[in-house]
Amino acid sequence: MSRDGGPGRADPRGTDRSGTAGPDAPDVDAAGADAAGSDVEGAAAESTAPDDGPGPADGPDPGDEPVVRPFEVGEVPPARAIRRYTAQAGSTRVGAGLGALLGDLYYAVISVAIGVLIALGVAQSLRVALPPAPPGALEGPSLAAIVVAILVGLAGALVSLAGRLGPIGAGGAEATWWLGLPVDRRGLLRPASRRLPALGALAGAVLVGLLDAGLLGASGERVVRVVLAAALVAAALVLLAGLGQAAGAPRRRLALLGDLVLVAAPVLAIVLTVAGWQVAALPAPSWPLVLVLAVVVVALAAALDRRLGAIPARTLRESGSVASQAVGAVVSLDSRELGRALTDAAMPSARRRTARLRTARGAASALVTADLVVLRRSARHLVQLVVSALVPALACAVPQLDSPVGVLLALVGGGYVAMSATGEGARRAEMAPVLDRLLPLDARRVRRLRMVVPAAAMVLWSLVAFGALGWWASDVPGFLVLGVVSAPVWAGAAVRASYRPAPDWGGPLVSTPAGALPSGVLAVLRRGPDVVVLGLLPVWICVLLRTVSPTLLVVQLACTLLAVLVCSSIRTGSFMDRALAAQEETGTKAGAR
Amino acid sequence: MRGGAATCGTSAHDGGMRRQWTGRPMVLGVRGGTGARRLPDTLAGVSKPVVRAQDLLVGYGGAPVCAPVAFTLAPGRALALVGPNGSGKSTVLRAVIGLLEPAGGVVEVFGAAVDERDVAFRARVASVLDDDAYFPALTVSEHLYLTARGHGVHGAQDVVDGLLDEFGLTEHARSLPVALSSGQRRRLLLAAALVRPRSLLVLDEPEQRLDHTMRDRLAQRLLDEKRAGGSVLLATHDPDLLRTVADRAVLVAEDRSRVLSAVEAAQQIAGGTA
Repeated sequence: MSRDGGPGRADPRGTDRSGTAGPDAPDVDAAGADAAGSDVEGAAAESTAPDDGPGPADGPDPGDEPVVRPFEVGEVPPARAIRRYTAQAGSTRVGAGLGALLGDLYYAVISVAIGVLIALGVAQSLRVALPPAPPGALEGPSLAAIVVAILVGLAGALVSLAGRLGPIGAGGAEATWWLGLPVDRRGLLRPASRRLPALGALAGAVLVGLLDAGLLGASGERVVRVVLAAALVAAALVLLAGLGQAAGAPRRRLALLGDLVLVAAPVLAIVLTVAGWQVAALPAPSWPLVLVLAVVVVALAAALDRRLGAIPARTLRESGSVASQAVGAVVSLDSRELGRALTDAAMPSARRRTARLRTARGAASALVTADLVVLRRSARHLVQLVVSALVPALACAVPQLDSPVGVLLALVGGGYVAMSATGEGARRAEMAPVLDRLLPLDARRVRRLRMVVPAAAMVLWSLVAFGALGWWASDVPGFLVLGVVSAPVWAGAAVRASYRPAPDWGGPLVSTPAGALPSGVLAVLRRGPDVVVLGLLPVWICVLLRTVSPTLLVVQLACTLLAVLVCSSIRTGSFMDRALAAQEETGTKAGAR
Repeated sequence: MRGGAATCGTSAHDGGMRRQWTGRPMVLGVRGGTGARRLPDTLAGVSKPVVRAQDLLVGYGGAPVCAPVAFTLAPGRALALVGPNGSGKSTVLRAVIGLLEPAGGVVEVFGAAVDERDVAFRARVASVLDDDAYFPALTVSEHLYLTARGHGVHGAQDVVDGLLDEFGLTEHARSLPVALSSGQRRRLLLAAALVRPRSLLVLDEPEQRLDHTMRDRLAQRLLDEKRAGGSVLLATHDPDLLRTVADRAVLVAEDRSRVLSAVEAAQQIAGGTA
């Protein structure tokens, strides 16, 4: 028997193929039943009879015992050699040499540093702008208590993200060409198993560092310890998710666990507020604790490394596919695609119950019902709605945040997150427009109908968020009315953002502090947020003035109607684009005359 | 390991993307690297069927996509799965090669429950599904070489050259995947399954994107596979391929799966009922 595996041209057949039985193998055939054409249910008979059905005449001869022949294979290379072979080709042929690598590294470090410094500046400015904590007993939770809740939320978000992404995966070419090799799979997966914990550590360090140095105003060695501890905890969380994956935990379950922790964060903050728990300052981790955390991370990494070979290919393929989709979405600044990747990753492939869709009595109601089902079935978006509704409420409750500016920022941030959660139906429709086209509805009406579910969800959201604002401003009825009146603006913005065209990367570049950005991309990305900013101007004024006047209420009503009209439009270009196009058309006609 | 591709050959370009590599091919070393090892052969002498499926139920999220199927496949034989689009043929194949957890029933390969995490399983089972992903920087020849060396094939480059010729890819040996047509990429995948040792070949509609000549050549290759004692499990819509290669067929359907003779299955395909 040859060790050459598959037969080459010189040896197209014969016993030296690395196969099983030779040409004299018996005529044992596949047979689900004892005769052709019979029912297979419950009758998987292993037939050893000669082929009694019409088949190729050149099959193996019958008679011998059907045994698997010895299988001789030469030495297989170590997994590391496979990885290096592939990587070396990439680095040699696509210009990814050491110089290019260092260049990329330089730009990445500079970009991250600029981003961190900008965020740090904003956080410290906010810190300076925040009023000092009132002396004596606080009426609401302290800033430190809120930071605790934020930390819990960040941990939940990290676990949820790690669960949706795998965290260990092998997609695309790696899945096709590596996973089938009879080499030690651990060696193939080792870099992938370290990538996400490292990214998690970086994100944890940056975010917690910003919270500590910015919001809490810490400095010096304390920040270093906090940042290190945060990085280690974040890495440990991702590694734990990886161990869960290796143990066979479904990605959906890990994502759900993270979502629950995320929901628990604002709930915890509210419970602490109600219970009157106060934290004057957060203790910084000591160096020994940081050391212990480092040891834990190393131990978890080693444990995960030992279990890498236990992760089935199907899991690796699924995770790799989601990660590839998510990375592609991030690189192309396509938040819709990113949302789809992360949502689909935690979706069950089948439902236990079929929605009866009783409310679907016509084209319009069918469309609204479909949107409702999509939202109802997406746990991530429901979590987003709940958490974001509690953000303004917490801002109103924290003495150091309850300035008009602080509350306004919380309202804008929370509202935008909530709004994004409600547009899932429209985003799905934009991705597969064929269903909309099947309905006897014109495009404008489809857009308006797509606003119904987001508007309903945002009304519920507003009852919580604006109710808190009313409590803060001592005008609950006024703010509640304002919230209900303004809800369609959020809904319209959600639909407008969902139906935005793909980013245009061909436009001129615009210089920004974070580097050059294509203006075509910015023009697309602003669709949706522009309506929020302009359509809710009366709300912003009411919050800043801490009161709702009848005049502003009427103006908001007018803004809402205008926003709905704008968001019903099916034109994709900006006003300036349309004006330029009209001008060109006029010029062309004049020239023709 | 040494990389012999330090020179940049003259290349055709397509929008900045190199389509062909004209430098020296890279070499994947074994000796000297830690971890190189010889595969154990734990299956020699096993007399059970290569594949045994008993009341195998497959689906997604607990929802079956077809009726339970049952079949056995012995060394040196070929079994075809037939059925209309969406009937569950590919899903059954995925369960057989361990890419899908069965929703019910039993599926065994070489007398043991399917576990693709087992190195011996991966060494013996070659498959071509609907994957269409390639390393952008590896040439056609290097994709095959990587597969052959990864499976411990000695004289890998000679085997690769033979298969490139057989699959009409010699002219594209140094082409990068971006330069290949859909049919050429399909041929590359099929060649990759044949460049390595195997006892069981699992193919999902291998005739797709192949011209008539290549389909005939594939059919001949699968007959050779059987003659050499290899087993073939394939899903197909091609009545000619089925008639030529398969000994039996299983009609995968939503209500009831049935075993058919190859001729009967081919007739059903031709008649549009499978």
